[in-house]
Amino acid sequence: MAFYEVYAHPALLRYRTTVCTKATLFVVAVLCVTYTAPLLVAYRSHGFWLKRSSYEEQPRVRFQYQLLLIAATSTNGDYVAWSTFSNFNSLQGNNLRIPSVSAREEDQNQDGKLDRLNLQLELPLRPEEQIYSVQLLVTFSYQLFRMSTVVMQSLLLLQYSSSVPGSQLFISGDLRLHQREPLLHRGLDTRYNVSLINANSPFSSSYDLAQIIEMYQERNLTTVLSSPNPVWTIGRAAAAPFQLKAVIRYPVEVISYQPGFWEMVKFAWVQYVSVLLIFLWVFQRVQTFVFQNQVLPTVSVPLLKQHCA
Amino acid sequence: MSAVNSLVPARFLTLTAHLVIVITIFWSRDNNVRACLPLDFSQEEYNSQDTQLVVALSVTLGLFFIELMGFFSGVSMFNSSQSLLSLAAHCSASVCLSFFVFQQWECWTYWFVFAFCSALPAVVEILLFIAVFGLKKKPL
Repeated sequence: MAFYEVYAHPALLRYRTTVCTKATLFVVAVLCVTYTAPLLVAYRSHGFWLKRSSYEEQPRVRFQYQLLLIAATSTNGDYVAWSTFSNFNSLQGNNLRIPSVSAREEDQNQDGKLDRLNLQLELPLRPEEQIYSVQLLVTFSYQLFRMSTVVMQSLLLLQYSSSVPGSQLFISGDLRLHQREPLLHRGLDTRYNVSLINANSPFSSSYDLAQIIEMYQERNLTTVLSSPNPVWTIGRAAAAPFQLKAVIRYPVEVISYQPGFWEMVKFAWVQYVSVLLIFLWVFQRVQTFVFQNQVLPTVSVPLLKQHCA
Repeated sequence: MSAVNSLVPARFLTLTAHLVIVITIFWSRDNNVRACLPLDFSQEEYNSQDTQLVVALSVTLGLFFIELMGFFSGVSMFNSSQSLLSLAAHCSASVCLSFFVFQQWECWTYWFVFAFCSALPAVVEILLFIAVFGLKKKPL
């Protein structure tokens, strides 16, 4: 015998009316409220339009093999200097002291992107000279590819000064991106692909550290060294050179960007539709009550076809 | 009409809820008045905004009186269109005014709630009064 329900489907009860009736007014009002109220609710609870989001990427950083070193050798203002720019070196005259430099970049996890820079610098000194402060400018090329393609030249200033003469300075830190405005979600951004130090300039003002750093800080995208932890070792042997060791890591960066049109619309749509479902259900129940109980007069279409006898 | 069995108590409930929340706002209007003033305001500005809100609430209570008179006297108790309109208006007013209190909305938002949810049913109520007592139509 037929003892269980195998399938069921709804039969529609229809209600008809003319255009200028209270029922039409009611349905128009209900439609307006159903489709505008979720927009109001979603908008007033904040976060409707996604204006800023973030993504993670390890940047492609390469050391540019350009250095500028200035070390103070006394408390009276004597200094020694050296750089990879020949014009700067020729301006130094007797203050030029050429160190032995070794630099090595490593890709530790073999993913094609370099992960750290090991820089070692040995500055030869006369026995009576002592190092009181060190300023080292290191240049990099910095590239991002995942959303917008960013290609820029950036630099780091490693500096330390002490009232006690030292024999070794060890600096270790992470190269972090500092952005003042969000990046775009696509396109090519090469506005900062300009070298910060003009290697062809014979003027000493082009190599002034304060001016270089001032122009660099005007940019909206810069790199900074985070948690440098400089270690200044004292007690230099008379014939030993001054050693500067720097380990700079290139970690994964969290970059904030401005989402594009379709991403904004996708999240707005998700928020709108989830609240719309609630209002659709509520007003469907209200309309069923109103029309089934003839609160507003309408003509109901009979379910079964009536034959005229 | 079977709907009358549920429409009349529902309308009474929403009317009462709206009335309760209007009276609550009367006593706790300090937060809302502060929300529509700038950070540094003078006592005169506070008093003027406070007076505006008190006037709005008092007019709302007056319109409530008109509507309750019409409801309890039977003029509009069994009129299904007015019941539906009053039900919808006072229900949305209760929701909006509870947001008004909890989210500390500014004072000007009260005028919107007043216009759509207090003035509109009261105007229709007055029209029904005129129709029943003036034009001698049946109240159903």
